[in-house]
Amino acid sequence: MTTDNVLIKVNGLKKSFGEVEVLKGINAEIRKGDVMVVIGASGSGKSTFLRCLNKLEEPTGGEILFEGTDITDPKVNINLHRQKMGMVFQQFNLFPHMTVLKNMTLGPIKLLKLEKAEAEKRAMELLERVGLADRANAYPNQLSGGQKQRIAIVRALCMNPDVMLFDEPTSALDPEMVGEVLDVMKQLAKDGMTMVVVTHEMGFAREVGTEIVFVDDGVILEQGSPEEFFKNPKNQRLKDFLSKVL
Amino acid sequence: MEQFFSEIAASFERTFITDDRWLQLLAGLGVTVEITLLAAVIGVVLGFLIAIVRSTHDMQLMGRKCSKPSDYLLKVLNVICNIYITVIRGTPVVIQLMIIYYVVFASLREGIIAAIIAFGLNSAAYVAEIVRSGIMSIDKGQFEASRSLGFDYKSTMIHVVIPQAFKNILPALGNEFIVLVKETSVAGYVALKDLTYVGNLIRSRTYEAFFPLITIAIIYLIIVLILTFFLKKLERRLRNSDH
Repeated sequence: MTTDNVLIKVNGLKKSFGEVEVLKGINAEIRKGDVMVVIGASGSGKSTFLRCLNKLEEPTGGEILFEGTDITDPKVNINLHRQKMGMVFQQFNLFPHMTVLKNMTLGPIKLLKLEKAEAEKRAMELLERVGLADRANAYPNQLSGGQKQRIAIVRALCMNPDVMLFDEPTSALDPEMVGEVLDVMKQLAKDGMTMVVVTHEMGFAREVGTEIVFVDDGVILEQGSPEEFFKNPKNQRLKDFLSKVL
Repeated sequence: MEQFFSEIAASFERTFITDDRWLQLLAGLGVTVEITLLAAVIGVVLGFLIAIVRSTHDMQLMGRKCSKPSDYLLKVLNVICNIYITVIRGTPVVIQLMIIYYVVFASLREGIIAAIIAFGLNSAAYVAEIVRSGIMSIDKGQFEASRSLGFDYKSTMIHVVIPQAFKNILPALGNEFIVLVKETSVAGYVALKDLTYVGNLIRSRTYEAFFPLITIAIIYLIIVLILTFFLKKLERRLRNSDH
């Protein structure tokens, strides 16, 4: 394991909401090309951990080194780093007042200063890849949940990020639409995208994950490769958790 | 019967034709429209600014301690906006109008400017609360999605939040304009010859109440109908994204 391909290094990350300490010191390392899958019971802090990575939640302690820069430093312009970290939400969060194409090109045009034509060309290529090119001029409310989430993924990809953060991307979907979203994510992983995925989809974790992390009560209790993790869980809490979800 | 109609005709003539009174009414309408339009501009611009201060404060500082100098500035601005809204909403617009005319602009005695400013400042307080409710109604996920793409707070407001909020508040905003049109009818208190004032003047000259009062009532109604028509049109155009 060389240190120069470490993309995100998390040291002693803490987060409290008022009196409640949700993260109690998390250490993690995400290397280029990793697909880190974060699992854990609800309320364990796994989503908070993910949301701290791009500072949607302000950490209360510890540091997060992203491409060598400590983004918890208040002097760092987080907006520039967020451009390199795509994020996909449970509730899709597409902009309902814009067409699909506008959703996808807003960031590239305004932030990356791409020409409109160039941004649209790139957006169309990505739409083509997820099979939604014909919906480019639709509004989000005209799409199904699975379509919305695939759009949300390619919207993030339009910014050409170095890492993609997924916050329970399939939890709000009807069961028959989970597959289409997971397929896009699998393809993305195959293409070498670095990903951090909070999910309850154990099949996805096993198949695509390169590193599985079990978060419980604000700390990482166990982590390892999928084979090791699912075949020989060591921690009792993890065994309990897996027996419930598998 | 014949006498009845000839009396009505005479009354009509005294109200509208004699001394070119219809021209006076027209001039009064002009004053009303001028005050309303310019006051609405002040109301919307100032109202949006106040709303942005208030909602930014609520979203960023609620339940959090000030940590940067800009936080303290925001806190102070928010207090000022709160006091402003409380005072404006808590006092009658006629009193505000007279205070602006007789106290603030005592040396100027420029009724039309005083009226535009008074009604503009008054409207701003109401617009501010309408806009704030619109901004606060936007799902937190919209902010987060925009911020996660790398937009700063200001761009998020401009590209994502305000356009959606505007669509949601359009009916309430339209309501506020309708109220504003009619509120300007007290402009006569500061010697302005607006529509209501002229109508009432004609009534006092002719000793006939029916035609002047009904006429100005109908004119207000028509203004409001026109306004409603355009607001509906705008609403329809903005609705194209919810199918």
